[in-house]
Amino acid sequence: MCLQNFPCQEVERHNKPEVELKTSPELLLKPILICRNEAEKCLIETSINSLRISLKVKQADELENILTKKFLRFLSMRAEAFQVLRRKPVQGYDISFLITNYHCEEMQKHKLIDFIVQFMEDIDKEISELKMSVNTRGRLVAAEFLKQFI
Amino acid sequence: MSQNLYFLRERERMACFDRASPALKETLLKIYRDNKPTELDQRLFEFGAVEYHMQSSVSDPHYVHLSISTPLLSQEASVAQGISQGTVQTIKGILSDIVELVEPSREGYQLTLRLDFSKIPQGKDSSKIITEIASIQAAILSCQLKEMLSNVASQDTSPGMYKLIKLLYHPREPFFVVRQPEKTIAVFPMRFQENTDVIIATAFFQELMDVGSSEAWAKVPLCTWSPIPPPELRGEQMEDLSTNGGFVSFDILPHHVKGKRLDKTVWNLLNFYAFVKYHVKCTRGFIQRRMRKRLDNLVKILHKASSEEGGYVDDAQVAGCGCIKSLVSVSKTNTLRRRCRNFTKKVKRMRCPIKIHGFRRFRRRWLTVPKFSSAFKYTKID
Repeated sequence: MCLQNFPCQEVERHNKPEVELKTSPELLLKPILICRNEAEKCLIETSINSLRISLKVKQADELENILTKKFLRFLSMRAEAFQVLRRKPVQGYDISFLITNYHCEEMQKHKLIDFIVQFMEDIDKEISELKMSVNTRGRLVAAEFLKQFI
Repeated sequence: MSQNLYFLRERERMACFDRASPALKETLLKIYRDNKPTELDQRLFEFGAVEYHMQSSVSDPHYVHLSISTPLLSQEASVAQGISQGTVQTIKGILSDIVELVEPSREGYQLTLRLDFSKIPQGKDSSKIITEIASIQAAILSCQLKEMLSNVASQDTSPGMYKLIKLLYHPREPFFVVRQPEKTIAVFPMRFQENTDVIIATAFFQELMDVGSSEAWAKVPLCTWSPIPPPELRGEQMEDLSTNGGFVSFDILPHHVKGKRLDKTVWNLLNFYAFVKYHVKCTRGFIQRRMRKRLDNLVKILHKASSEEGGYVDDAQVAGCGCIKSLVSVSKTNTLRRRCRNFTKKVKRMRCPIKIHGFRRFRRRWLTVPKFSSAFKYTKID
């Protein structure tokens, strides 16, 4: 995460994240793809002034799929609260973060990394907990419904 | 702990689907509590098709005429017979000293009742009695299903009894009752507007099947869910068989409709749709609450990263996340100083997006506005 302020080489007075525009290939590093399996992966794309981290969260069944979509959409719609969250994920991924050199200046780098790691852990945990809660609620409500027959 | 309490509260709320019409109950209670003769001619509509008409006059202060029009469960029955004799007898049995059936009923209504408010006792019982009067529409519908289900108990095996009956409790939500010699099967085609609802409901149906098939629940009707129509519905219209939530079936055996259990079984079947939809709605709300809570936690972690001291959280940046705002307390001076610093930084960045080597020295030398000395202050002359 060694990002520095770097204006666009093509357009004067432009200072945009190179990882998004990809105007100069020499300013980009080779992207890193970390895969647990086909359904769970993390793509890290780096450039001189910005970094993009994209996540694909595991979705084992329909319920997990719907919960993941719902939750990540909920977060994306509130991206302004996170600053580093991209409103639209990179194609093929569920959620993306865009960290620029300005974010690194404003925030502490190690804490920013901690946040990303914790976010990844929390998402998995939250989806599993949500799924369990929905099933538990279903079970309780089902028992309550059947109780009325007696 | 709090989650368990929440579940319990939810369960309590879900356990009671009111039989009494809330609007009718409120109006009748108002008339009763006013306790003075009033001229009244009021119509109430429910579910689009249920209509109540209330009439009272100053000349006849003790009586209120209540007419009810309700779509009957089975369309065939409604055209051919109207309200059956069994239903009429049941209604006559409800509070016979207060409620009197007027025959013939008012035009356009299936039933007209004369309510004698002078006979309603004072105190807590009055509310109970009025609630019972307000639940007459539910009683009419229940009676029809009761008649169908009680045929199972009587082991009536006449040839017509194998027929499939389409019932309509709410418009657009038909369900089917299949009468077989040893049991009656109630089949509910489940339709939902959104895909999320379908998945939540499907999870619920799975749980319903699991719970229902366990030994502890051997006394309740067996519940089965299948994504395809059950064989009993073969030959029905395509629009009735096309669903996105599959088909839920309850096997009603004679012992499920014996004595007091008949009423419970009927009411549960009539309200199954409402029950499922309420569960789906509550679950969606629950998911939304959880997500909001988690968002607050995540934002809190991120804002810790932006603080230099480690414990600082900028209020402006967490606007909208109420929980965080309340948790963090920072002195006002620090906040103001911090905001001022951020603002200056942003202005600087906006003003000079490009850094030119030596430009700052040039600006300081040539572009700065000269400071004028105060008339009251001493200035050193070089």
